[in-house]
Amino acid sequence: MNARRLLVTLFALVVAMIPLCALAHKESDAYLTLRTDTTDNHVMHGQWDIALRDLDYAIGLDSRHDGAITWGEVKAQRKVIEDYALSRLEVKGDGLTCAMQPTGQKIDEHTDGAYAVILFDAVCDKNIPSKLTVVYRLMYDLDPYHRGIVTIHSGEKIAGAVLGPSDPIASLNLHEPDRWGEFKSFVTDGIWHIWTGIDHILFLLSLLLPAVLMRRRVQSRGDGWRASAAVAKTSGTLMALTTQPTRYYWEATSRFWPACLDVIKVVSAFSLSHSITLSLAVLGIVHLPDRLVESGIALSVMVAALNNIYPVVHKRVWLIAFAFGFIHGLGFASALAGLQLPAGAMAASLGGFSVGVEIGQEAIVLAFLPLAFLLRRTWFYQVMLLRWGSLLIIALATGWFVQRAFNILIPGFSAIIPN
Amino acid sequence: MNDSHEGIVDEVRRSSRCVVLRFFLPLLLMLSVPLAAHAARDVPYIPAKDSVVLQLVPPRTDPRVRQFDQLRSDFSVHPQDAAKAVLLAIAYVDYGRSTGDARYLGRAMAVIQPFMASPTPPVSVMLVHATIQQSRHFFQESRDELVQILKRDPDNVQALLTLATVAMVQGDHDLANRLCVDLTNNAGNFMGMICSASLRSLSGQGAQANALFSYVEDPGPKAPPAISAWIEGLMADNAARMGLADQSDTHFKKALQLTPGDNFLLADYGEFLIDHGREKEAIDLVSGDTQSDTSFLVLVTAEKALGLPKAKADMTEMDARFRSMDQRGDHVFMREEASYLLHVEHSPKDALDLAMQNWKVQRAPKDVRVYLEAALATNDPAAAKPALDFIESTHLKDVTINPLVAQLHAVQAAAVPDTTSTPKRNGR
Repeated sequence: MNARRLLVTLFALVVAMIPLCALAHKESDAYLTLRTDTTDNHVMHGQWDIALRDLDYAIGLDSRHDGAITWGEVKAQRKVIEDYALSRLEVKGDGLTCAMQPTGQKIDEHTDGAYAVILFDAVCDKNIPSKLTVVYRLMYDLDPYHRGIVTIHSGEKIAGAVLGPSDPIASLNLHEPDRWGEFKSFVTDGIWHIWTGIDHILFLLSLLLPAVLMRRRVQSRGDGWRASAAVAKTSGTLMALTTQPTRYYWEATSRFWPACLDVIKVVSAFSLSHSITLSLAVLGIVHLPDRLVESGIALSVMVAALNNIYPVVHKRVWLIAFAFGFIHGLGFASALAGLQLPAGAMAASLGGFSVGVEIGQEAIVLAFLPLAFLLRRTWFYQVMLLRWGSLLIIALATGWFVQRAFNILIPGFSAIIPN
Repeated sequence: MNDSHEGIVDEVRRSSRCVVLRFFLPLLLMLSVPLAAHAARDVPYIPAKDSVVLQLVPPRTDPRVRQFDQLRSDFSVHPQDAAKAVLLAIAYVDYGRSTGDARYLGRAMAVIQPFMASPTPPVSVMLVHATIQQSRHFFQESRDELVQILKRDPDNVQALLTLATVAMVQGDHDLANRLCVDLTNNAGNFMGMICSASLRSLSGQGAQANALFSYVEDPGPKAPPAISAWIEGLMADNAARMGLADQSDTHFKKALQLTPGDNFLLADYGEFLIDHGREKEAIDLVSGDTQSDTSFLVLVTAEKALGLPKAKADMTEMDARFRSMDQRGDHVFMREEASYLLHVEHSPKDALDLAMQNWKVQRAPKDVRVYLEAALATNDPAAAKPALDFIESTHLKDVTINPLVAQLHAVQAAAVPDTTSTPKRNGR
């Protein structure tokens, strides 16, 4: 055998032989712990221990290349570490991906060295996970022998799984689906949607403002008023286009209950119609483009407020509420769709959201009505609120309408009024 | 709460993996680079200062690390080039072996895995794959793969060598013998001699083995030190088996001179020292390498044998290390754990169970030994039958094993007259 051949063979040997040794270290591990929260069942608290050696290999922690990873180096890379790791982990509740929010960074010592600890919350926003699924992809491209040792604590119950690149998914049934809990959660969402949806509130308020007032015609001239009044009496509708401009003034209602009845009519009509379209849209029977729906809502606010300045409809304001309720219902539906519905929780979410919307609007009405009744005789109410308030609402709604219908961004507008 | 589970999820007991760290940290401090001396903890913490050193990693000053970087950047420029992938993977495997850091086996595997997806991967890629499998004690998988390689390339020296080694670990001496002949035909006397010498050493022919080894003990000045160290290590084992302690000691020392800090040699020599009542030397030998599980096991065993106060804490740490290996579902350390259970924890029943499980995977002399020791400790000679049969068929001779065989036969003989009258005490 010539020397060169021998040497080549020898080099081959170095790798080939010396095989009797056991592995002197264990291979790459990470430890992932998820805990349910006793007070908030939408949230899982996570702790993920990942070996600094692995992170160094994956993203380079030893920035000084001196062979010693310091706390300062780890701290400086916190964001990079979190982005790297959390993008390789999915926590799902009933099939819906929960949002990962890092909450802290620590260090833990394990038997084979120091580990970076990523503390995070998995926020399963809209549902209470009854079945938890973990999809684990850390190191999948760097080390097929990496294992994620997953422990899930749910109340008294502890479950575990060993995940890795070839077996990345584990599921655990935490409890029976909590439909009542989800229903309640969607009630809250419905309430907040109304309260934060300023366009819905303004529409309702515009319709309710005149409820504590009666409109009277200014009786300065004798000719022709009888006929007009007759029309007004029979139809409840006053013709804006009479031969002569007719002048009106607002008079406070003397009794509470008629005013209350008016309000109930308006609110009920609105509820009825928006519930219909909300259900139809969620069930997939009706679909309108968002742009149309959103500009329709803006238009409805304009019309409702305009009716307080140039009254077209008075005694049957509930008709406006009913008619435009359909378009508002479609708006609620798209908000609900944006929340990601847990599979199998359609009834709970739709019902809960509708109830929430009702509660939210009843609360506004309950706050509004006594106050309006008390203030109804004042100049502040009749002029400031009703006239100028309605004008302001018209201005806002026009702004929304232009933005939504023509897809134009009015400079500064969104800064004053979101939505 | 509904307790039903799905898929691979199963109940786990509460882990106490971190509880022992107060004992572990002082060990870290024994490393040559001073790690920050923060208080020992068993829960996640925030280090007191930015300058606290948390973890040592291979520094850029290490030529092997610079070699990785070079090979890695070469490979990243040509990600389709199997030859470059193989070079990088071999560098990782090599480093992992000499340091004992198993993470490098995984990194090597990740490099070659894309090429393994092809129905007929290049032989060089398959060889690295089989080598990694073998290093991870997946002997049967490695063997099947090497057989495939030799079908495609019957003269592949490295495949022949690796398969011969696997066959010896598995106790398949017939196959090993055939491969040694093939090696001699294909790679010349040098390789053939090492192969046959190793096999003879395992077959009760220590003197012949030693003679053969002596021929190849000096492979010439151009050979890498790892080769010489490897041969010295084999000679040390052979001498130890023959009961020639002084010779063995000399070979071990030579080997360690050639490759200082070699993880396998440290553990092997450490075990030898403990066998010969030289526990203090064993502790000195491995105390700089306690991050390695094999070295740490030597340390704990020696401490326990000497009755040192430190033994208790280190046993807790060793236990935690075994538990964390269990947690990930690894069972590559069964012989070592069986030996630990027997000699340190003194639970022979568990040791025997593990030794029998280990027997299904590997049958090197050390595997035979712990099996017999455990069977003897549980007074269960019948359980040792597979190992005793193996010794008989291979003619294995080893001064640490021979007396065990004799003792087991004695126990068996003593038990025979009584079997009809007394129930078997350790019936399995």
